[in-house]
Amino acid sequence: MNEQHPDDCGCQEYNELSRRQFITTSAVGASAAFFPAWLPRVVMSKAFASDRDIIVSVFMRGGADGLSLVAPFADANYYTSRSTIAIPRPDSTAATKGIALDNFFMFPQAMTGGAAGTGGLMPAFQLQDLLVVHATGQLNNSRSHFDAQRYMEVGKPVDPTLVTGWLGRHLASIPPLKPDAPLRALGVSNGLQKTLVGAPKTLPIADPTNYSVGGAAATQPQRLAFMQSDYAASEEPLHSAALDATNTVTLLKTVNFAGYKTANNAVYPNSSFGRALRSVAVLIKSDVGIEAAQVDIGGWDTHSGQDPLAGSMFRTMQDFSNSLGAFYADVIAMGYNVTVVAVSEFGRNVRENGSAGTDHGRGTVMFAMGKGINGGRVIMKSWPGLAREQLESGQDLKVTIDYRDILAEIVQRRLANPNLGFVFPSWTPTTFGVTR
Amino acid sequence: MAPTSPSTPASPATSDAPTNAERPSRRSFVFLGALAAAALVPKAGKAQGKTRKRPVAEPVDSEFPTVRQNESVAAFSEWETTLGRLVRRASYGATAAEVAKANQLGFQGYINYQLNYTRIDDSAVDTAVAQRWPLLSQTSDALFSADSNTVRAQLQESTIYRAAFSQRQLYERMVEFWSDHFNQDYDKVGYLLVADQRDVIRKHALGKFPNLLKASAHSASMMVYLDQTASTNKAPNQNYAREIMELHTLGVDGGYTQDDVAELSRVLTGWRVQGRGQFFFDPTKHDIGAKTVMGVTIPASPSQTVDGINEGEKMLDFLVNHPNTMRFIATKMLKWLLTPNPTETQIAAIASVYKATGGDIKAMVRAILNDAWLAAAPMKLKRPFHFLASSLRSTAPTIVSMATFNSQLNNNLGQSLFAWDTPDGYPDKIEYWAGNIVPRWNYATVVSALNSQTTAAVDTTAYRAGSPDAAVDLIDQNFFGGEMPLVTRNALLAYVKAGTFNDTRVREAIGLAISANAFQWY
Repeated sequence: MNEQHPDDCGCQEYNELSRRQFITTSAVGASAAFFPAWLPRVVMSKAFASDRDIIVSVFMRGGADGLSLVAPFADANYYTSRSTIAIPRPDSTAATKGIALDNFFMFPQAMTGGAAGTGGLMPAFQLQDLLVVHATGQLNNSRSHFDAQRYMEVGKPVDPTLVTGWLGRHLASIPPLKPDAPLRALGVSNGLQKTLVGAPKTLPIADPTNYSVGGAAATQPQRLAFMQSDYAASEEPLHSAALDATNTVTLLKTVNFAGYKTANNAVYPNSSFGRALRSVAVLIKSDVGIEAAQVDIGGWDTHSGQDPLAGSMFRTMQDFSNSLGAFYADVIAMGYNVTVVAVSEFGRNVRENGSAGTDHGRGTVMFAMGKGINGGRVIMKSWPGLAREQLESGQDLKVTIDYRDILAEIVQRRLANPNLGFVFPSWTPTTFGVTR
Repeated sequence: MAPTSPSTPASPATSDAPTNAERPSRRSFVFLGALAAAALVPKAGKAQGKTRKRPVAEPVDSEFPTVRQNESVAAFSEWETTLGRLVRRASYGATAAEVAKANQLGFQGYINYQLNYTRIDDSAVDTAVAQRWPLLSQTSDALFSADSNTVRAQLQESTIYRAAFSQRQLYERMVEFWSDHFNQDYDKVGYLLVADQRDVIRKHALGKFPNLLKASAHSASMMVYLDQTASTNKAPNQNYAREIMELHTLGVDGGYTQDDVAELSRVLTGWRVQGRGQFFFDPTKHDIGAKTVMGVTIPASPSQTVDGINEGEKMLDFLVNHPNTMRFIATKMLKWLLTPNPTETQIAAIASVYKATGGDIKAMVRAILNDAWLAAAPMKLKRPFHFLASSLRSTAPTIVSMATFNSQLNNNLGQSLFAWDTPDGYPDKIEYWAGNIVPRWNYATVVSALNSQTTAAVDTTAYRAGSPDAAVDLIDQNFFGGEMPLVTRNALLAYVKAGTFNDTRVREAIGLAISANAFQWY
């Protein structure tokens, strides 16, 4: 297993980067004017990388049960551990049987648009654009939602001095996709998610379809000017937020959300997650310079009444799968350079509890999707097994792949950012071939 | 009250070496591109004419100097008086009336007045709440058959109304604090939350923390929210056992382990809900084996009896008397009332008040809101609920229905009440809320334009009675307690003068005042 090396924290790599000359090609030179002065001296990729992917980062908040999302039907201990909430084998006669992904794992029907297995995320998997990583997660063993989410979003565990998110640092260490973009990234949220903290020109926008200051159109320019002037004297972080916001109000006015027609007859569920992905799709296709979006989906903290066959987790998985399935058909299948990643802070206990639910555990699944993803597979280092003696602390699926290994390869290969030591400090990633 | 310079080293805080997180904010000349864009905007009047005095910033050479957790933002130089600072911290908005009251009572007098909240006549608000939202006084049995969305709306609307209009402003601030500390999601607990808010949070918001914690542990709503009611001796559910230690008492670094979580969950088996929201202890679901939680041993019991509940009660006593709980509660209250970055000295001082008074919340609040600490405290960013309540206090609309305001909080501003689904409650962090500014501007437009006989109306007569200067003076009094920053004042005056001085223009000016930078802080 890939261990952390606290003393050799990747700082060496970072220091080395810092000593190098700041590369000033003409393209970078122009874009540098849009860069904050505090930007650490890191390597800018020489190519402007206009063909690099846009990233949509999904956080499944609450600790998603990887053993329901992608269930190991060939591990007999799965069934003995879960007497009431297991997904029936694909070769069983149960109406709720799973849909095999290979000879070991299956999707529940919630992930495949029903028993036929032709909807949800199944098309993306079959077209080898969806990769499942199993027995993954983070090496830090916190079972606190809030610590575990923070560590994962920051991209480094237990470091109170690091408050920026991994995606924020990615955006801060690479030139904008469009040099004059007023908004480079958004969190579809009322508040900025930690993943994006530190990103330049980035705002939380809960509903991009309704982003305006309202009031009389005739006086709106003067009122916006008042705001720009008034907030020009304010302190960070409100200062930048206000200026970015005034520019973004103008930008989003030009985007026709209401009249948007999806490609491939894709239908986004009318859920907050589905609406969020639809808005992101519109922004991507509007080509306004958005290069990252953080979208959250909750409902995974299934302590009781989990019921992945028809109940609460069924509905959560269905929303997740149908929304991402629509995004796949609408955007990725159309050839847009977009990579989607989906992570959760931890998985859940292998054995169900007394309330037909599962308590906080460790290893789980993560997903990566895109034309540049080497998908159609469930990968892991090796299946750790579900027998009691094979479990972490006798209760949990072991983490065999650190989630940063997967993200780092995507940051490097799909997002064209060479500054891995900056995006994931203290981490030397191992490559698992997740990209094409 | 004599003006106190923010740089006067009057605070005990200054005796500490600053920790990494508490360096003063540096000026914001960092986003060069953004500032260049701002430079293109026409300046209104002499808006840029006055340089604000700030504590000297030390150069920072860390990785992201401007993106720090809990940014310490120095107060506006116009916020000169500690009494004004106290009113802003102890209320949902320094209106002219609130400032006048504080001036009359003086610093200690105003704190005493707000802390002895039961002596404040709040009958007007109580009557209004009883008339407008009658479900709130009903039992869970009666609420069971009420329409769930109606119950939710009554709970939300009355909470906004009380925050805005109650005379017991500091009490309402603490109600909000504890509602987040013991956060619950209405979608999960439904009508049970009415009793939790009434009989747990509001009953003990300025009482003793041990009583508050124990009331919460006996609340049907909490038992449902954190799955305690589903926990049995055969298969304990760890949700509540974890969060009562992590979020309610010790804090995540409070010294417990995963084993302690598992053991406490066994101790608490049998704590359940029956009927329509009745807490009860079910001996048949209680694990009678021996347990050890954080070194506290609980011997095996020969049989399942009603006395089994005492194991849990014993652990609640252990938790509320644990030094880490004292520190955790002290730290969180300091962050709420004073500063995002309390010092070790401050934390130790307030924790010792907890220890000396048995967790008396009033005593801790009183110790936190001292003039020296307030004078040195940075500003805090209003969360959307606070911002909305402030706007209601300042605009003082005639209200027929609160639905408009509740809808704004639910659908626009981003802090729908009783809707944060995880048990940590809404964040109180600048870096979380700072970007969410356009919805506030949008709301400001909506509220300032309200002129409806069926929902709500903001009366602009007084603002139009004199000159544009007088209108801006009145805005200063009503919205900024007389301490509106000069830069905002000049720009606002220029805006009023740039058009015909009429109802529309005045309403726009009110909208701009609510949108202004200074209105977002307290």
